[in-house]
Amino acid sequence: MILTTTECVPGREIRETLGLVRGSTVRAAHAGTDVQAWLKNLVGGEIEEYTKLLAEAREQALDRLTAEARARGADAVVGLHFSSCEIATGAAEFLVYGTAVKLVPRSS
Amino acid sequence: MSEREPTRDELLAMAYADGELAPAERAGFEARLALEPELAREVSELRRLELLARHAAPPEPMDHEWGRLARSAGQRGLRGAGALFLGAALLGLAAWALACLEFSHASWVPKVLVPLAILGSLLLVGAAVRARARTLRYDPYRDVKR
Repeated sequence: MILTTTECVPGREIRETLGLVRGSTVRAAHAGTDVQAWLKNLVGGEIEEYTKLLAEAREQALDRLTAEARARGADAVVGLHFSSCEIATGAAEFLVYGTAVKLVPRSS
Repeated sequence: MSEREPTRDELLAMAYADGELAPAERAGFEARLALEPELAREVSELRRLELLARHAAPPEPMDHEWGRLARSAGQRGLRGAGALFLGAALLGLAAWALACLEFSHASWVPKVLVPLAILGSLLLVGAAVRARARTLRYDPYRDVKR
């Protein structure tokens, strides 16, 4: 499955547009993580616990998007966008969306 | 590397994790996943491997240091002691609040409602922890670093 933020795939042309596909997840850090993150706020630097939380959310959302695109019989998802927001303290929503397409080799 | 041939279930799990099953086969396999924890664990493990392959980029020096620190006895001791004292203090405070209420001249309403609220909170936390503990081993995303 090709996932790309561009509108087209080099060497291929879009034969069919299958529609919007998306994957989202809301993941929370446990309370202990919030305490550690608060303590790191005092000393500065990367808050690794929250980096990890967002990375987990991003991968899960991407996998859900890929599963939906596969279920529709897509070869690729183009115009991929990522978006995230804080839905509650210590919980992040990660949304990834794009357009599922069927590709064919570009006719020269 | 194992010389053993993969079983039919292992091949099915690989095809499912790679999204290669036909819709009818996928529906049948998902119905089995709900009933067979061992199979669900196998799928989760395959997805974890896929994630690992996606993150095969060399770790940054800071990640090495975070990892070393997280494994060091000193850091673990500090964090463990901190969590232990905090947990003990919170439980102690709840017990103290209950004892104060018991010996106060307050009406029976707070004497019943406050312990009920504490018990309810503990039951809810217990239910959330139980649910997480049950699903933790099937969650392939909990070790994603970056």
